[in-house]
Amino acid sequence: MLFRLTNSAGQPRYLQLMQQIRHAIESGALSDGDQLPSIRTLAEELVVSPGTIMKAYSELEHEGFITMHHGTGAFVCVSRRARRLGDRVQAARERVDELIGELRDDGLIDAEIRRLFEAGLLSAVRTAGKP
Amino acid sequence: MLWYKVWLETRTRFLISLVGSTALCASRVSDLNRSAPSWTQSSYRYLTLHSGQQLLVLPWLVAITFLMMGGLLQEKANGSALFTLALPVSRARLMNVRICAGLMQSALLVVVPWAAMYTAAYNWAPAHFARQVLFYVVVLASGGAVFVGSALLISSLVEGTYLAPMISAGIALACGNAPNSLAFVNPLAFMDGRSYLGPGNMLAGPMPWGHAAAYMSVAALLIVASVKAIERRDF
Amino acid sequence: MSGPTVIETMGLSKLYGRSYAVRDLNLTVRPDRITAFLGLNGAGKSTTIRMLLGMIRPSEGSGTVLGRRIDDPLESVALRKDVAYVSEDKRLYNYMTVEQMIRFTNGFFPGWHDDIANALLRRFELPAGRKVRHLSKGMRTKLALLLAIARRPALLILDEPSEGLDPHGVEQLLEALVAHCAEGTSVFFSSHQIEEVERISDQVCVIHQGRLVMDASLDELRESWRRVDVVLPGGAQVEDFQMQGVERVRTRGQQMSVVASGNVDSIVARASESGATAIDVTPVGLREIFLQTIEEN
Repeated sequence: MLFRLTNSAGQPRYLQLMQQIRHAIESGALSDGDQLPSIRTLAEELVVSPGTIMKAYSELEHEGFITMHHGTGAFVCVSRRARRLGDRVQAARERVDELIGELRDDGLIDAEIRRLFEAGLLSAVRTAGKP
Repeated sequence: MLWYKVWLETRTRFLISLVGSTALCASRVSDLNRSAPSWTQSSYRYLTLHSGQQLLVLPWLVAITFLMMGGLLQEKANGSALFTLALPVSRARLMNVRICAGLMQSALLVVVPWAAMYTAAYNWAPAHFARQVLFYVVVLASGGAVFVGSALLISSLVEGTYLAPMISAGIALACGNAPNSLAFVNPLAFMDGRSYLGPGNMLAGPMPWGHAAAYMSVAALLIVASVKAIERRDF
Repeated sequence: MSGPTVIETMGLSKLYGRSYAVRDLNLTVRPDRITAFLGLNGAGKSTTIRMLLGMIRPSEGSGTVLGRRIDDPLESVALRKDVAYVSEDKRLYNYMTVEQMIRFTNGFFPGWHDDIANALLRRFELPAGRKVRHLSKGMRTKLALLLAIARRPALLILDEPSEGLDPHGVEQLLEALVAHCAEGTSVFFSSHQIEEVERISDQVCVIHQGRLVMDASLDELRESWRRVDVVLPGGAQVEDFQMQGVERVRTRGQQMSVVASGNVDSIVARASESGATAIDVTPVGLREIFLQTIEEN
């Protein structure tokens, strides 16, 4: 199972890793019951702190995508809640892909599109009244 | 393991000094013995052993000056002091191992050449010559201890690989050229026995235990001071 | 797992003559993570580390490492049983061979693991019979690292570990650090290499002119620091943007660039209230965060 983390700022690494693992699960590269690499192995392979791996695995467990058995390791175990989440994310991705395609057709470059999304998220959060 | 380290650091210097001074002194004594006219035998022999001591003192001083090189402050100069200081041993222990090793090596550098000289003189040396040899060993060891102590103290205060032994050598030189009026407090004068040898003097007097003890105490003070100096130092 | 902190200093200071190398340092390093200690040359990183290990006596204040006091000689010896240190110079005993260095160091630590030592000896490709004086700096660094790691210390302290290593060596170093952190060793290292710090650190502490000016988790920094680039047709007024979280504001004509460590949404709101025609929010890398923090102190 090959993961890759980039050094780009802005997104904590554990979130990057979580996305990649979720993506692997959704795309079928990882199936139910598959064992994820141990924290030490993955840390060494990606050259990131074990704390990052630990955080990613914990959050994924919380979201229902994996379970961690003390002593044996982490296993993919997509719960129903996670599956629904996965479906929703899948649908959302399709919409985002469509929108991105349209924006590109309008002549915007990727960096501009990214910034628009960032700014939009931030102002949306404020107007929604969330902290 | 600290003993192992000190041994690795000093073995070459030690063995060269040991073999060199033993060979030098033993051959000189047996040489003089062969060339002595028969009617001067007994007083000549005193002189023979005396020149053996004279011959030993200088190489001995040179040897211990080189042997006392090293230690934490000199390790600081070449950078490995931080590695040594990060080990789970106290500074006192680091110093103590070096001190004990140094004292043992210095003692061996007295005893072994004298054993060789005694052996070289054995065929003509009557029993009381053993007392003679003991005398020389005592004065060399106790007077020399002061130089060992001062070399240790200097190497604990002065940084730089060569500056410390140069200062030690300077001190020995100063002692060597000190006026005779100061002979009573001059460890070098004590060591080569010259204050005990005079016209008609056959070294049959009492052993200078008091004087020896005084010099050993001075040496002990210098050694304690050197340990304290290292304990207080920032690296 | 050790107590709540592996390193803790309270008002730690070192005065040389009339200037402070380290001033009133209150450092807290937690276990089971990788903490980076960033600072300019001469900021006090090495002095701090040497005080922690008993090589330099503090002028004021105190500290503990693994719960043991750093200014007490007996406790300092005790703490060094569980702490491994790799100095900036990585100098070892020139007259010993690689094998002799291993045998020598081995003797001080009952917890030494021969299997780890041998594995690292092979992985780092160190020639067992070669004297230290004939090793390159890179090999000496790897040997120093081997001697530190093979005893499975509770805490590993490194001063500029990647200095003198080629890129392959740096990779091996970082891999070894994360691997052993996963096995329960806490890591505290000082560095100039921002990229390496960004790759493996959990926590970042910044020291400047002897004082601690930042102590934050790298993830938090990544999540909260942003640059907001704004175009204001009416001309940019710096005063309008002096709000909480703003670290630096630069303007040129109608353009304004705000670097903020938080409160970004308020800044964006202020920008749109002021009639901005363009608002771009981008992340800020650790190098800039570090330089900005240094500058304002």
